[in-house]
Amino acid sequence: MRLEDCWHPLGLSHSIEAGSSAGTRLLDRELVVWRDRSGIAHIWEDRCPHRGMKLSFGFVRGDHIACLYHGWQYNSGGHCQYIPAHPALDVPKTIKVPAYPVHERNGMIWATLSENPAAAPENDEPVVPLRSLYLGCSFDAAVEALSTCRLVPLASEAPVETVVSRVTNTLLAVSCAQDKLLIGIQVISKTRTALHLSLCGSAQRYQGAGQAHFNAWALQLRHAAEHVRATHAASDRDVA
Amino acid sequence: MIYESARFVFKGSFRTKSFVEFARHRAERLGLDVQFGQANVEAIAVNVSGAVELVDAFEMACSLGPLDCFVLDVVRDGGGVVAAGV
Repeated sequence: MRLEDCWHPLGLSHSIEAGSSAGTRLLDRELVVWRDRSGIAHIWEDRCPHRGMKLSFGFVRGDHIACLYHGWQYNSGGHCQYIPAHPALDVPKTIKVPAYPVHERNGMIWATLSENPAAAPENDEPVVPLRSLYLGCSFDAAVEALSTCRLVPLASEAPVETVVSRVTNTLLAVSCAQDKLLIGIQVISKTRTALHLSLCGSAQRYQGAGQAHFNAWALQLRHAAEHVRATHAASDRDVA
Repeated sequence: MIYESARFVFKGSFRTKSFVEFARHRAERLGLDVQFGQANVEAIAVNVSGAVELVDAFEMACSLGPLDCFVLDVVRDGGGVVAAGV
């Protein structure tokens, strides 16, 4: 399965509030993630068709987003519906921002760039958002660090076996005793990766001290992943 | 809305295939009908029709041209209102 055909997490759901937008990058493409006033998330190419300004700098108003530069307004389908400089103009349907399918599960916002994507990740368990981490390493280095990680359970300091399983190509589950973390892997570029982490379980169990416990673990994970990257780079130099 | 038909002659230094592709893309994006006339390395003629604001936008967009072409002058003529509506 090519990465291009996968669903990719672009952030934690709670990090994009209704009426706000944010820029991100997936497989070297610049994307805008925005949520309209009714709470529906949209993921588009981060470029106004008019003059190329990033739409992530724009303003969300109701169910549309307006470019910061000249105020062109795009409806939730990506079609330009209003040009302030030409208020009487019936804007042609051809002025449109490319939009991508969106899926919200596991406390994360997912998108795919593929026209024939793999199955989207499903999960009906309640989750508590933890955090997003931005790593200076490749997707492979991040997966390698995750596959050898060891989790310390919340309820005990005693060593317990950590089980890492792959839910989809871009979603791993890390379990230890009663705790289970879902980790979505965003491929920003060949050398940059983001991890989006959610805890399976109730807010009552994890909010506060539980989040702090796994937050500290996540920071160690980032160090480990970037160390894998450094080790790979050193072995590449040795081969050369 | 006012609809207009206009003829442009872009003058300068062109790779004709490159400029024609560029202009066709802009016309399609702006929802304009487009037909190309004579084209050589020094001048390319284009007829477009559609909403007058978007015909103006087409002229502006093509006045920059693609990276491998230089547009030094634009002559616009033959323009006229072909229809008006609400």
